[in-house]
Amino acid sequence: MAAADVAYAPPMKSGKAGYEGGVPEVQHRIRITLSSRNVKNLEKVCRDLVTGAKGKKLTLKGPVRMPTKVLNITTRKSPCGEGTNTWDRFEMRVHKRVIDLVSSPDVVKQITSITIEPGVEVEVTISD
Amino acid sequence: MAGRGGRKPRNFATFRLFPRAGAADPNDRVFVRVDHNDYNVPGFADEDSFDSNFTADAADLHSSASGPLPEHVRREILELGFPDDGYNYLFHLRELRPAADAASSFVPSSTARPEPLPLDVKAYDASRVRVAPSADDLDEGKTMCKVAAKTAPLRRVQRAVDPDVARLLDESDFSHAGSEDEGLEEDFVIMANQAEGDDEVEEEDEELGNGIFSDVEEEEEFEDEPKPRVRRLLDEQFDLLALEEYGDSDDDDDRGGRDGDYELPREAIDELKLFRDQNGCVDEDYRTPADFVRGKLESTTADEVDESANVMRKCAEYAERYLNEPAEEKEIVLVSESSDESEVWDCETIVSTYSNLDNHPGKIETPGNCRKRFPRVFPGETATTNDLIKLHGKEKLPVDYLPQRKRNGEKEKKVKPAEALNAEKVKKEAHKETKEEKKARKAAVKEEKREARKAKKELKGLYKSETQKAQKVAAVTGPSSIRLM
Repeated sequence: MAAADVAYAPPMKSGKAGYEGGVPEVQHRIRITLSSRNVKNLEKVCRDLVTGAKGKKLTLKGPVRMPTKVLNITTRKSPCGEGTNTWDRFEMRVHKRVIDLVSSPDVVKQITSITIEPGVEVEVTISD
Repeated sequence: MAGRGGRKPRNFATFRLFPRAGAADPNDRVFVRVDHNDYNVPGFADEDSFDSNFTADAADLHSSASGPLPEHVRREILELGFPDDGYNYLFHLRELRPAADAASSFVPSSTARPEPLPLDVKAYDASRVRVAPSADDLDEGKTMCKVAAKTAPLRRVQRAVDPDVARLLDESDFSHAGSEDEGLEEDFVIMANQAEGDDEVEEEDEELGNGIFSDVEEEEEFEDEPKPRVRRLLDEQFDLLALEEYGDSDDDDDRGGRDGDYELPREAIDELKLFRDQNGCVDEDYRTPADFVRGKLESTTADEVDESANVMRKCAEYAERYLNEPAEEKEIVLVSESSDESEVWDCETIVSTYSNLDNHPGKIETPGNCRKRFPRVFPGETATTNDLIKLHGKEKLPVDYLPQRKRNGEKEKKVKPAEALNAEKVKKEAHKETKEEKKARKAAVKEEKREARKAKKELKGLYKSETQKAQKVAAVTGPSSIRLM
């Protein structure tokens, strides 16, 4: 019991001195889904978002790469039925990346407004 | 887990970045909510929630359905001719680029050449041809040469525009806006019409007339008499005929008696025209011969009176004659339309009225393949001494004169006697030798043909260039049906 003589200080949030309360803004769990047909642009946007989030010291779950969806269309090349049966194979590849953050919505808005790339679709899901 | 009635609690909101409706910049995007959960995130969504089936039309409607169009837009729409129904038609129009203005406006070029002639027309510039003043010594050959020497063919012809014609054409739009009678602007008509109205103008004209022609007073018959030239029989007949034809509609006789209010009768108008041509002045009063005879109008010489009396008498005569005419047969006067000396038909002019531009006799030609059929030199002519034409063969043909048989004919002649000799010999001998002989003969013929072919080919190759040259020349000068190779 003598050991318990040491002043028991309630566990305090370490780090920022003078920081009084919790973060005034509500933290949400935010999931950013990026999808695109173009891998290069997509990766660029991902990189920018990650660096932006990291700069704001947010809890970040790195870009999770979903499996690429390949949409195939296979058609006969010939407009008529004559000739050797040659087929055209067309495909469209859709790449998807997911980034999870924990932050307030306006911070996310800020981040996403900066990184702008054509052809990349951005979807933000905000949960509590 | 406790069974729940429905789905899991959906405590989330999904937003998607869309390009702003109607924005040019595709990077101008806003967050739009795409789901319909109850969860609310204040301050995230930029715009009202849309259906997930977001279309550009919906965005357009939303952005442009903001009340009536602004005033300047409406004015512009109206100017372009579109109806003012609240729809922004300018949305479908596009501003012309500055470069397009230059292309859309037409500036006629100053260095433009007139359009070339159509292919079936030939034009010649004959401006330097001098027409001989006297047409008596017309030597056709010489004139043709002269004309040909001075004319030059033209490639392009400018439409000749007479300055008067051009002026008239320009003025036609503006100056003919009046009544239809403006075409009848001859002086006599004006004068005649003015006789009813203006007194001032009449006086002016009279004074003028008297002033100018005061020195011509001696020639009364031109000035005072309405009949300036001696009336011929034909004139009287014409007048009577005219009266007969148009007498029903002719009101001039009635009006002639009225004072101060008359129109000139049609017959007199012709006379007056002539009168005008000679003197340029018309007196207003219509004078009849009777005026002179009966002394109603003063006349300075007795001639006038006499002539007038004469005319009156003649008129009476003709009238009587005309009345009595039905008893007689009318003379049929045949008028030949063309005089004999002017029409000298020659074969050239009468055969065809087409010009050489359309009619090319030289082109009507059958391709001359038949020329090669007959040999140039008939062997029969050289061979026969007498005038007999020998017929050979089953068909009894004149072998010597047939085409393409010349060579064979000669050869056959040679071969035949030899062959005949051989045949005789062989016939005397065994039968099987004829086979060999036949073979030999056929082989000989084959050989000969082979040689001939070779020789021909050689010759052809030697002279191929010549035919090419000849074809070139023929293509330029001769009719197109000539083919040399």
